[in-house]
Amino acid sequence: MLLGAPQETPSRVTYAIEVVRAAAGSRRSLAAGRVSGPQETALRLALRSDSAEVEALFTVEPGLDTTVTLAGRFFTRRLFGRSRRGLPLWEQDDYQRTATIPWGRVARVYPFGPPRRQAADSLWIEIAVMREPAGGETRPDEAVTLADSVLELRLEAVTRPRRAVVVLTLVRGDSASAPRTLDLVVEAPARAVELAVGAQGARRLEVGLARPEPPRAARERALALDADVVCLRVGEPGTARPLRVLCGRLNNVARKLPLDGTDTLVATLARPGPR
Amino acid sequence: MDGHDHWLREIEPELDGELSLAARAALARHLVSCAHCAGARASHLEVRAALASAAGDRHARTFPQAPAVRTRTLAVLATVVLLAGAGLGWALHARWGGPGGGDLEASRAAIVVR
Repeated sequence: MLLGAPQETPSRVTYAIEVVRAAAGSRRSLAAGRVSGPQETALRLALRSDSAEVEALFTVEPGLDTTVTLAGRFFTRRLFGRSRRGLPLWEQDDYQRTATIPWGRVARVYPFGPPRRQAADSLWIEIAVMREPAGGETRPDEAVTLADSVLELRLEAVTRPRRAVVVLTLVRGDSASAPRTLDLVVEAPARAVELAVGAQGARRLEVGLARPEPPRAARERALALDADVVCLRVGEPGTARPLRVLCGRLNNVARKLPLDGTDTLVATLARPGPR
Repeated sequence: MDGHDHWLREIEPELDGELSLAARAALARHLVSCAHCAGARASHLEVRAALASAAGDRHARTFPQAPAVRTRTLAVLATVVLLAGAGLGWALHARWGGPGGGDLEASRAAIVVR
C-alpha cells in the first residue's frame, strides 16, 4: 500500500425492494423486502404469479460520481395457453437491462413491460440502491414481507464466497480420523493436512479450494445459481494434479470422496462465521 | 364381327360431323343393309341424348362439349385463389398463430428512473 494514498472504505450495498400495484388511481404495496451485503453483493429476484414468472439478477457498478449503474439480467416465462393435451405452454425470454441512477434514488422495474397509456392497472417493482460504510459487517442478509398471497416474491443476496470452512475426516474401514477443520481461501495455493487413522499411520494430503466451471445452462449462469458452490481439490503432496475433486454448496452437508485404496475422505463445506 | 369393325369406327366421327360426304354416303349405304351397325348407331345417339338431358338440355341438337377455359381466365382465377389463400393464412396466423403476438420489446421488462 502506498503511504498517503486514499484508502477506500469498505462499504455495504443495500437493495430496498417494493412490489406495487396501481389500479384506479390507488397504489397498493403487494410485497416489500431488503437485501444487503458487501459491495459485490448481487440481488436475485423471483416474482411469480399464476400466469408469469420473472427471475432477475441485479448487480451494481458504482460510478465515479454519485451514481450507480444498476444492471439486470432477466429470465421471464409467460403462460401462453394450453396444448391440445391440456398441458401449459410457456413463452420464455432472456435479456438484459441497465440504468444509471443516483445512489438512493428509486428506479421502477416494469417486469412485464411499461404499461399502456390507458391501462386500467399496472404492476412494477421499485428498487432503491443505497450504500453505507460496512462497519465490520460482512455477511449478507435478506428480509421479505408479503402483503398479498397471490404473488410470490423471493429475494436472495448473491455473493461468491472468498473463504470456506472445510471439515475433513478420513475413513479407513471401520476407523475414522478426528475431524480437522480448515479455513481455506478460494483459489489460494493448496495446504497440506495430515489425517491420522488410529494406529495405522497418518495420511498426508494437499487440499485447496477452487471455483467451479461455469454452468452449462444459460439460466444458471446468468442467475449465478452456482454462486455458493466451491470445489475441493484433494491431491497427494508434491503432485500438481489433484487426486480427486469434489464440488458442492456451502450447506454443511457431509460428502464422501473415495480416495485410492481403502480410504474415503468425508468433507463438509460451510460458510465461515462472521469476523 | 370383324367385317363391321370399320363401320362401327366410322359411326362416332359421322355423328360428330367429321366424315367426308363420300364416307358418310358409304356408311349410310352399309347401314341400310346391316341391322347390327344401324343398332350401334342408334345406341350412340341414345347415349348422347341421355347425356344432353342430364346436362339440362333435353332438346340439344348437338352433343354438349366441355366449355373451353381460356388461359387468361385461368390465370386470373389462379391469382384470385392464391391471394385469398394468403389472406386467409395471414388472418388465421394472427388469430391462432404462434405464441407471443405483438411487439416483443413491449413485453420485456423495463427500468424507468423518475
